[in-house]
Amino acid sequence: MRLTITHETRYRYSPSVQTAQHVAHLQPANTPCQKVIRHGLQIEPEACLKHNIDAFFNHRAYWALISPHDGLTVRAHSEVETSVVPNVSASQSWEAVREHFRYRGGQHGDVHSGMVFGSHHAPVHEAFRTYALSSFMPGRPLMQAAQELTARMHRDFRYQTASTDINTPALEALQEKRGVCQDFAHILVSCFRTLGLPARYVSGYLLTQPPPGQPRLVGSDASHAWASVYLPELANHPSQGWLDLDPTNNRCGLASPGEDYVRLAVGRDFADVSPLRGVLQGGGTHTLEVAVTVSPLQVPVSK
Amino acid sequence: MSESRDSCLDNLDMQAMNWLAHQALAAPAGHWDELRGRTIPPIAEAPKDQTQMSKVWQTFIQHLGNDGLETLRLRMGNLQRQVRDNGITYNVYAATDQPQRPWSLDLFPLMLDHKDWAQIETGVMQRMQLLERIMADAYGPQKLVLSGQLPAALVHGHPSYLPAMHGVPPVGGHYLSLAAFDLARGPDGSWWLLSQRTQAPSGLGYLLENRQIVSRLFPQAFEAYPVQRLAQTYRTLLDSIKARCPAGALAHIALLTPGPYNETYFEHAYLARHLGLSLVQGNDLTVRDEKLYLKTLQGLHLVHGLLKRVDDEWLDPLEMRADSTLGVPGLLQAVRSGNVLVANTPGSGFLESNALLGFMPALARDLLGQELQLPAIPSWWCGEAAALQDVLPRISSCVIKPTYPYNNHRQSFEPVQGHMLSRREQDEWAGRILRDPDAHTLQSWLPLSHQPTWQVTANALAAIESRPVVLRVFAVANAQGGWQVLPGGLARLGTRDGIASMQRGGSSADVWVQTSSALSSDSPPVIAGDARQSMSFSDHSFSDSPLGSPQRLAPRDDEYPSDMGKAAAPPQRQRLVTSRAGENLFWMGRYTERTENTLRLVRLSLEILSSENQNLPHLLHFITGMATRHGLVRVGVPAATQAHRVFERSLIAGLWDKELATSVGFNLRAVRLAAASVRERLSTEHWRLLEQAESRFFNTEHQVNVPDTLAVQGILTETSQMLAALTGAQTDRMSRDDGWRLLSIGRHIERLQFLSSALSEALQLGMLSEQAGYDTVLDLFDSTISFHAQYQQTRTPQALVDLLVTNADNPRSLGWVAHTLRSRLRRMGHLADGATVPMAERVPHLIELTSESLWPLQDKSTFADIATPLHATLADCQTAARDVSDQLCGLFFTHSGEARYSVGA
Repeated sequence: MRLTITHETRYRYSPSVQTAQHVAHLQPANTPCQKVIRHGLQIEPEACLKHNIDAFFNHRAYWALISPHDGLTVRAHSEVETSVVPNVSASQSWEAVREHFRYRGGQHGDVHSGMVFGSHHAPVHEAFRTYALSSFMPGRPLMQAAQELTARMHRDFRYQTASTDINTPALEALQEKRGVCQDFAHILVSCFRTLGLPARYVSGYLLTQPPPGQPRLVGSDASHAWASVYLPELANHPSQGWLDLDPTNNRCGLASPGEDYVRLAVGRDFADVSPLRGVLQGGGTHTLEVAVTVSPLQVPVSK
Repeated sequence: MSESRDSCLDNLDMQAMNWLAHQALAAPAGHWDELRGRTIPPIAEAPKDQTQMSKVWQTFIQHLGNDGLETLRLRMGNLQRQVRDNGITYNVYAATDQPQRPWSLDLFPLMLDHKDWAQIETGVMQRMQLLERIMADAYGPQKLVLSGQLPAALVHGHPSYLPAMHGVPPVGGHYLSLAAFDLARGPDGSWWLLSQRTQAPSGLGYLLENRQIVSRLFPQAFEAYPVQRLAQTYRTLLDSIKARCPAGALAHIALLTPGPYNETYFEHAYLARHLGLSLVQGNDLTVRDEKLYLKTLQGLHLVHGLLKRVDDEWLDPLEMRADSTLGVPGLLQAVRSGNVLVANTPGSGFLESNALLGFMPALARDLLGQELQLPAIPSWWCGEAAALQDVLPRISSCVIKPTYPYNNHRQSFEPVQGHMLSRREQDEWAGRILRDPDAHTLQSWLPLSHQPTWQVTANALAAIESRPVVLRVFAVANAQGGWQVLPGGLARLGTRDGIASMQRGGSSADVWVQTSSALSSDSPPVIAGDARQSMSFSDHSFSDSPLGSPQRLAPRDDEYPSDMGKAAAPPQRQRLVTSRAGENLFWMGRYTERTENTLRLVRLSLEILSSENQNLPHLLHFITGMATRHGLVRVGVPAATQAHRVFERSLIAGLWDKELATSVGFNLRAVRLAAASVRERLSTEHWRLLEQAESRFFNTEHQVNVPDTLAVQGILTETSQMLAALTGAQTDRMSRDDGWRLLSIGRHIERLQFLSSALSEALQLGMLSEQAGYDTVLDLFDSTISFHAQYQQTRTPQALVDLLVTNADNPRSLGWVAHTLRSRLRRMGHLADGATVPMAERVPHLIELTSESLWPLQDKSTFADIATPLHATLADCQTAARDVSDQLCGLFFTHSGEARYSVGA
């Protein structure tokens, strides 16, 4: 599926900000089921962009603004071709995966072991084990357990905007059983990690369908987030073993929850991949508007 | 000290040694005794010869001099005085209103002979190499984790591992520029590694101070030992950092401190001064164009190297903790671009884990192809099932230590000694370990060696006791691309039953490392002059008398670049004044002047209230008005005219009032706080004066139970004398750079404001025509003596205006103050595109005025005649003072204190 994404972030400052530095993760990744056709990042006021690939192989952009400015507009425009990878099932039990990641002197370590450990936004805590355990019966294949846990979260949690912010701990959102997609992704990642399983946080977009009979509204979408768990058994599968799980919409799939998803970046949690981060010097208050539009692009079929 | 001397100890030495050995408490059974050079056997085995002392101690005693042990008490007194005089402190969660705790230093050095040292030196160098290799792998190919030689839990799972630094090549070729290693001597007499510190190890400054003090107390023993010098190693570290910096030998290096509230801030200021580095806080720095700059009064200055004393996670709010105010946004980007060398490279914290020690022997074989020369204390990381099985039944003989430090998503704990736990507690710990094995590391319990210490007991009797000791040594990078070990260290002494950190009241000792040439029995004594030179960078001169001398002949003020700075950077550089330092100096000046003025006002008011003039309404109105305007009494206190005694009591109580942000005590404290932030610019004497002025003033609070005006006057006189000394230190002991100019400007702005408002008030009340009123104003201007000398008893308006307003020779006249203020502002014309020059013109010209041109001051004029024009002039002075202050703040300071915040979307 060919998708275009426009992600516009607009800050207004009062009084003016003197200097600022920003880091952005706004360039979609090339993945087994996603090809970036084009991508552009426009900054206003103009700034010199520095690109690099971070430790999680995400595209990262850095820029600095060194003269006073009363606003910042960041417009990321991307066009990607998404697809699905062949679906296979994996039978490895969750305990076997846990044991795979347990350290034994002299035995080879897994390249993804870094994702087993708790992080600031997705910590390890007994409360997550308690919540997750009913999906993790002894001997159950991890793939099945993970999908069931995702479905259960979808049922148990209430999606409520503005009930949390990015500083709301995953633990609190778990207790409240409500939050937004970031919270759900963090909770799910925390559940896996507490059980000793490697999981990562994925930031991206989801194509939403306008209500029947109504046109697609520009800017009505939002950036999205979900979780991904690693199945060592499928390391050689095109998905490289990552099963993506979206508890917000109860969607699952190898490499991606579906063709209507676009992946931006992966990391231990939100802090590693936040779409736009910055430190401002001067200024006082600010307003923020974010407008995301994901739309399907009609590509003429050429045979 | 030679072999031959050992066998024929003279009688005096023998006596001294017998006395010492009998007096000195031995280490507990099973612990090595540093004094006796052996492990103390269990009591059942009769001590064969308690008096036998180790060779190094025999040498030490022999060189105590003729008075031998008699002088120890004096030496201890001398030591304590020097610690106090040098202002060495270690803050314990220092609150702003708590006195700093003096550094605790023991009389006796920990002495290592060349054999001990050889083992330590080679072992530490080897471990340093290994740490570098481990770090290079963790931030590079990560083979060690993939091959299973290192658990991911100790790399990626460690909160101090920074993925943001992965793949970033280290600036200058290697990751580690320095590291600290904590060692202990076991019962077998050999040294064991306990832990290692790489993020921001402390001690390099304290150990230098320890050395300066202790070497002076035992000069003969120091030369005879002979003790290895330290200076060269510090030079090596700095040279190495410079050599590896993008700018090479001319590199500008700064020391990044968390600030004056950090427990080791003393050391940061001390090191910065001795190494000739700029002492900076996070908000002194800024990143532009992926380069690091220092914000100074002179503009932005490139920084090429950063010796950091801030923990990694706080270094860069843009990429790490967004709530950090200690770091510099964009610093990691500057590191990534290779524009700044940070020592150590951010991300080394995972190397500090206790759990790593157990993996190092195998890593050494693999990475270096060598066996480790310096063994680490046996350590088991519980995250490895096999190790856990092995060690869990033996909790009681182990120390339970955290694998990870505290951080914002993980709890940690303080180490626990297994043998101190009850059966039930052991089981509880076993449960905790099983629930979270990764987080726990068990180490064998090592009976620490004991060091003799001189303890002064409550009844002032001294005793030699023994304390467990841990030795911290440092490896530093050298210019050859390798490392070397500082031949000395910081010995940390615990309480008799266990080791205590400095934060919990432990103590420290100097560490003497024997020069290996002492091997030969007749090694030549080290030339004293030579020894002194290499003792430290700035301290070339001290007495060789047995008791040493606290006097320093060479100036210690930092206006004189240290030898080191000269040697390393030949071109004389302009001294940089950071914007923050400038701001603090400015406020230091204002608060010093404010303290002097308010103190004088209170003193004068109290005098009036108990003098023959106590019923003059003008005077009472005047002092009420002034005390209220300057916030010296609380709001609502009745005027002196209404309730004479109540007002007097309020004035006295107000001196120490902590809730009045304007009290004399508050102002005095504000001087010290501003000074604390620029401590590296102040001489030791200057700093001590500040501390003394504050502590003496606040100590007297409790002495004045009943408002005893006489006693209070005594206190005020004493404080005002100390302030005069402080003024002396400010005017005569500080180098007159732009920072000093700001201090001076601060003082003159404050003086202009205070004196013009006082004269204005007096004029308004019409009190100048009375002799008492006239004299009061003279006194407030501190110009009584000048007046009597110049005008005898002619209390005319002309005389007053001449002396207090237009006089060019009286430093308390408004004209003189305005003139000085203008000239300081003009001298700063090279800054900020000359913006201070028009500011100078804003200050009224008073000296230049002849009284006649302004006022109809004829012989017969009265104060009423001149009231209107004089008022206008005085008002102009006050406005000018305010305007200049505001403009200076806007021009030089706002960007250093400017709010910084993080956003995310």
